[in-house]
Parts: sequence; C-alpha cells; structure tokens
Amino acid sequence: MMRWRRLGSVLLLLSLLLPASAGAAKPIAHREVLPNGIVLLVAERPAVPIVFVRAFARAGAVLDPPDRAGLANLTGALLTRGTAKHTGPQLDSAIEFVGGSLSAAAGRDGMTASLAVLKKDLGLGLDLLAEVVLTPTFPAEEVKRKTAQIQAAIKRSEEDPGTVAGRALAKLVFPNHPYGVPVEGTVESVGRLTRDDVVRFHATNVRPDTAIIAVVGAITVDDARREIEARFGGWKAPAEQPATTPPVSLGGPPRTETVEKELTQATIVLGRQAIRQTDPDYFPLAVASYVLGGGSASRLYSRVRDEGGLAYAVFSYVMPARYGASFTVSAQTRTAQVPKVIEIMREELARMTREPVSERELKLAKEYLIGSFPLRLDTSSKVADFVVAVEEQGLGLDYADRYKERVARVTAADVQRVAAKFFVPDSFDRVVVGAPKKP
Amino acid sequence: MFVLVLLLVLAAGSASAQSAERVLAATLDNGLRVLLQEDHRSPIVSFQMWYRVGSRNETRGTTGIAHFLEHMMFKGTPTYGPGQFARLVEQNGGQDNAFTSQDVTSYYVNIAAGKIDLVIDLESDRMHNLTLDAKDIASEREVVIEERRTRTEDDPGGFLGEEVSSIAFKNHPYGAPIIGWMEEIKRITPAEIRAFYKTYYMPNNAILVAVGDFKAPEVLAKIRAKFGRIPKGATPPPVLAVEPPQNGERRVIVKKHAQLPIVYLGYHVPNQKSPDAFALEMLSTILSEGRASRLYKRLVYERQLALEAGGDYNYFSHDPSLFWFWGTPMPGQTPEAMEKALLAEMEALKSEPVTDEELQRARNQVEATFVFQEDSIHRRAGLLARFELIGSYADKDRFVEGLRAVTAADIQRVARSYFADDKKNVGILLPQP
Repeated sequence: MMRWRRLGSVLLLLSLLLPASAGAAKPIAHREVLPNGIVLLVAERPAVPIVFVRAFARAGAVLDPPDRAGLANLTGALLTRGTAKHTGPQLDSAIEFVGGSLSAAAGRDGMTASLAVLKKDLGLGLDLLAEVVLTPTFPAEEVKRKTAQIQAAIKRSEEDPGTVAGRALAKLVFPNHPYGVPVEGTVESVGRLTRDDVVRFHATNVRPDTAIIAVVGAITVDDARREIEARFGGWKAPAEQPATTPPVSLGGPPRTETVEKELTQATIVLGRQAIRQTDPDYFPLAVASYVLGGGSASRLYSRVRDEGGLAYAVFSYVMPARYGASFTVSAQTRTAQVPKVIEIMREELARMTREPVSERELKLAKEYLIGSFPLRLDTSSKVADFVVAVEEQGLGLDYADRYKERVARVTAADVQRVAAKFFVPDSFDRVVVGAPKKP
Repeated sequence: MFVLVLLLVLAAGSASAQSAERVLAATLDNGLRVLLQEDHRSPIVSFQMWYRVGSRNETRGTTGIAHFLEHMMFKGTPTYGPGQFARLVEQNGGQDNAFTSQDVTSYYVNIAAGKIDLVIDLESDRMHNLTLDAKDIASEREVVIEERRTRTEDDPGGFLGEEVSSIAFKNHPYGAPIIGWMEEIKRITPAEIRAFYKTYYMPNNAILVAVGDFKAPEVLAKIRAKFGRIPKGATPPPVLAVEPPQNGERRVIVKKHAQLPIVYLGYHVPNQKSPDAFALEMLSTILSEGRASRLYKRLVYERQLALEAGGDYNYFSHDPSLFWFWGTPMPGQTPEAMEKALLAEMEALKSEPVTDEELQRARNQVEATFVFQEDSIHRRAGLLARFELIGSYADKDRFVEGLRAVTAADIQRVARSYFADDKKNVGILLPQP
C-alpha cells in the first residue's frame, strides 16, 4: 500500500487537454482523412515495440435520449462483449493471451475503443478492435449482465463523496444540457434501457464520418494506413446525418445544495460554466485557475493546506469539452471547518477579480503550463489520448504550439479581466457533501 | 482496492532484456547508491530518491511518523524556505510527488532534462538540512489528519483493509496502517519527527535513481559534488520484529455506512527471499490480471456474484506479508456467499492444477507488461529502485526467468502450503444505512 503526499493523478488527467506538444518543427502526428471520412492520426514512436490504437466515435452521453440516460455508456461497455465472430470471453482470452488489452467506454462527448498491444501482435489486435467497433452483436444475455453491473457500480459510487459531489454539481452547472446528466445514468434510467436501444444507438452514432483513429507507437504512417484501411476502409456511414447536440446554454441563478451523509469530512465543490479553448480568453483563464488552485504553490493550496492545515486536497481546474466548459474549485475538510473553507475560497476568488496577480505568480503559472508539456506527452498512451482530444475538439494538431504562444502572451491584466468575468464568487453553484450540522 | 491493483502493476515489474546493461551504477563514499540510465527519446528526466524507511520502521506509539515526515520534506530548509521546493519545481515546468509505503519512502521530480542541476540541489539539501519547525509540524499534522479522513475514515474499503491488517499481524509493524492510527498522528511530537529524520535520512540509507535525457557520467559527477558532501550516518537500527506463526482463523466484522459489503481474505506468505515467491506472483496474475483471469471470469462474469473480485501479492515486500483476496458482492448477494465463493476458488487451486492456457497467458502478460513499462521513464526509474531495494537492479532479468519457469505444479503446491483454512484472516464490511 502507498500513501501519496498529494492527490495527483486526477488532475494530471484533466489537464491533459491544457498543454501543448513539443517543438514547432515536427507536428505531433500525421493526419489524413480516409475516403469514408475517418480521420487517421499516426504518431511514430519506434523505440519500444508496442502500439496503442484509439478508435473514437462521436457517440457520447450527450446523445442519450432524455429518458435514456446511460445509453452511450452501456453501449460502450458492451462493444467488447461479443461480435459476429467472437463471444465476449473469447475476445478477452484472445487479447490477453498475447499480453495486450482491448477495452471500450463512452464519455460525455464520445465513445472510445482502445487497444494496447505488442508490435508483433498488432494484426491480431487490430482484427479484434475492428470487430468490436464494426460488428458488435450485443447478445441479450450480455446486455442483462452489463446492465446489472452498471447499476451496482452506480449504487456503490454513492459511497464516494467526490463522485456524489461531482454529479450534483454538474446538474446545477448544466441544468438544461446533457452535461448535467451523469454519463452512467441512474439506477432507474439504466433499468429502462433495452437491447434495441443499444443496437440503434450503435448503428446511428458509431460511424466513419465522425470517427477518429489514432495509431501511436512502433509503426510507420504507411503501415498504419494500410492496416487501418484494410479493416475500416469498407465501413459505411448510415444515410441519416450524424446527430448533434446544441452547445450548453446559460443556467439559472446560482444554487446551493447540501447532500447529507454520515462522514467525518465534507467535500465542497464550487462550479460554474466557463469557456473552451476556441475562446481567446481561455488562456488567461487557464493561467488564472493555476494561480488560484493549480499546484502546490497556488493561493488556495497555500492558504487552505499549507497555512491553515484545513485540507489534504484543495484545487481548481477548467474542464473544456466539445459543447461547453466548466470551472471548478474543490476541497475536502473536516465537518466543522466547512464555513471557513468556503469563506477562503470565496475570498480568494474575489481577490483574483479585484487585484492583478503578482509578477512572481504569473511567471510561475506560465512557466509551469508551458514548461511541463513534454511530461504530458512522454508515453505513447498519453500521445494517443492527446491527439484524439485535439482532433475531436477541433483544435488542430498545432494546438500545442498555439497554446504555448497564447499562454506566453498572458498578462496580469488579462488574468484580472478574465477573473472578473469568471471568478465572481456569487456566480458559482455550490455543493457540500457531508454530515449534517450538529444542532 | 485501487491501491491493491496499483501494487499488482508495480509488482509485475519492467525490464527489457537490453535495459539492465545500460545502467551506470555507483556507490558514493558516504554510501549513497546511484543508478543512472540514459533515455534520449524525450528531453525530460525522472529523478527519484528512495529512502529505505517506511511504516515497518515505526515503533508502537509513533505509527504514521514515516508518512508524516514525508509531508514535512516539502516544508523547507534554511536554504529553501517553506513552499520553495514546489515553487521551484513548478516554475521549471516540473511535476513532483512522493509516497510512503510499508518499506520505503519515495520522492520524485519529473522535469525538463536541462533542469537536473536544480533537482540535485533541492534533493541533496533536504536529505540533510530539513528545518522541521514546530509550527509547520502543527499545521501539517492537520493536513495528515484530513488525508486519513479521506482515505480511511470515510472510505469503507480503506477502513476495512486497515482492520484486517491489524488482526493479521499481532507483532510485526505491517499490522499498523502506513498513515498511522488517528490517535498517534495527533500525538507524535516534533522531537520524535526530528529524531526519525536523523536516524533514517542519510546517504547510506538512500537510493538515487534517474532515467532520462542526460549523459550519465556528467550527472554522476554533479551528484558526487552535491550529495558527496553529506556525511555518512550511523547504520539505522534493524527491524527485529518477527511475526509468529498464525494459530487459528482471525476475523473482523466492521459495520459502517456503505452501499455494498466487502470481503477481504489475507494469508501470510513468504516474500521474494523464498523460492515460492515466483509461483505466488504468477498465481496473483492468473487470479486477477484482466477479464480472462480466474476470479473475474468466474465470480464477476459467469456467476455474477461479484461486482469486483481479485487477488494480490507484493513480491517486493521487505518482510513476509499477506496474499490478499477480495470481493465486492453484487446487490442482493451476501458477504457470506462472497466469502464462500472465494474460499471455493482457493480450494480449486489446491485440488486442480491451473490450465496450460492460464499459465501461458500469465507468462505472456508478465512479459508484455515489462515491455509496456519501458515506454515511461518514470516507471523505468521506479523499477530499477524496486529491484535495487531487494538486492540489485540487475535482478530484473532473474525475475523474468523465475516467473517463466513456474509450473502448474508449483502453483498448486504454494496454494496448498499457504492457503490453509485455519490460517485465514477475514474481514467483512457490513453496510449500515
């Protein structure tokens, strides 16, 4: 067992979308559009004989019908549970016998099937990947089994205060948009899903004209193109247009919610809508968020953790997605200190709107955001996630370099101006998960 | 459970056939062990300090002190005051973190390769010059308490795991939680933390590992210049506690606010010093690695009895530890049924050899894991350290060969030797509304 000094992994994942890629000289990946519309991205990383493939379809939970929350998630989870040629257990055995892995899951915006395999087993791995994307059979028995598992996982997740807080906050921040609904749905909504729903969702939304396939590792562009075309070249889009989702709309006035649970510690989350990378103010916002709660030298970390001893975890982050973005401030503290921590969060948010950040803070945030990018792209798996994300969000493969330039240009005045728009304490929805106040 | 899975990944190790030769290994006059490996794929370096101290070095009354000190390592020295470490690392585009386990305390900085001088400076400074101011200790104590609330008090799995360990070990310090008992986190004094630092933080009790885009001889010279100045310390006292044989089943039932029950089973097993360790490691892979693994396939998939189930063994454990089995029953299933099913799987391991397919799959998985881990300099550095801690970084190759040689009969034999019914430690979490 290990005890870590800081909560780290979650933030690292979230920040994957922020950073840039190495050097302007060579693009991070080769990009081309195959005749049937698939965007193929290839990054050659020859040193280690492994290959990672991501097959992304724009088939996320945003496309769930209003009374069918969890449909994309169930469909994604079922991709590997049986195809025209193999049962689920046969797929598991085949890929694991060569020490590889094949998995599939849906998120808010899309559904991704992921393959990790030794180079020598790439042919087998791609055969299986193509099967699960193109010819899943969704056996009735498997639908039933997976439905029960998802319902159980939802039930169990009620134990996790962070998950409970996140769900409640999303509902407040995106009241009129699918982003406010949990990707996994609810126990009730998942119970309503049928095999027909799943079959239809897959047939309509998993399609080549909105698909991205990224191949990263010990493979050349030519080999990757040939292998992908051989398996996905004959994939045809359905007649109807791809489904779309409107961008997020503004919610109502900010709201506050308390979820009572028998816990020794309370989880506090403040959230509101923010902006995506396509908005020029995104870059000052990223810097502002870093100064406020981005690292171990941030204002919230200093005041709440280092000086106050009030929390182990305290942080803020911007989370951009395809149809909208959110900005969140979070901390976990002992029940009695909830008012104090909320007060510090509000004070520090307000201070960012009132006065410019110091030169030292600005420099630190910018140098971290720019300087840390090679670390975020140092494995094939991270590169694969990154190139899919920038393509999917329409940022372009040069986003990395633009990000660096944009961040470098941010001034203290920019930070204050953007904070004045997004950090007004009264504009935040708030959720507290924890024990009720003692009378 | 997340933690158990994480360990499995680490234990699966990483080593490609060619990697061991390229390590520049040296021991400084003051005893600091240095392992350097060049990797020029990205302009970055993973710089790691591994101290041979963890919760196993703690005495009664001071549980959690190793982890508490780990937190204090970020609170400054006379040269670099409070908060400076993090500020300097971040300002240079680096990422850092640290963890404490039962056996080691590890610190890493991943950063642009050009910034390695800064890291050498920071790490050599805090090895010897930590301030450990009483006021900082007082405020950090509250942070550690919050961490314990997050990970243990309010986490059913963490809470139960702690209870099972504490009944499984009646003498050895592995029975105490790494983070420490709440009462003792509150009690530990600044003087005790200072003494602990003095006893264990010294060059001759540490391993420095760096993998990345540098020239190893040049970096070694820099390390000599900075770390070489730190005097060698007195050899830390050995841990003398030995866990006596278990003489009967032990069981703890915890009632706690939760949604689903949890069942843990723990059996005392030998560590890597025993020839049985390879078979236990392979057994762990066969039980839990992937969806074709035995416990997932039978209990989660076929019988739909468990939401999750697995087994875990820590090959790298300094002293003999536990082989864990665990399961979370599906709603409507009882912990009794879950325990019975796990025990039945154990009986099956004793009565029937694992199949050729299971064994070959496990071999292939272990070997592939090694190759996959080569992709990350952070993991490569961590694995060099883990093997060095139990003997030598070069033992990685012996590890692969040892695993490859395990037979179905070996696995059956270790299952029979160690999974005796009256030597189990059972923990059950009964959810309360």
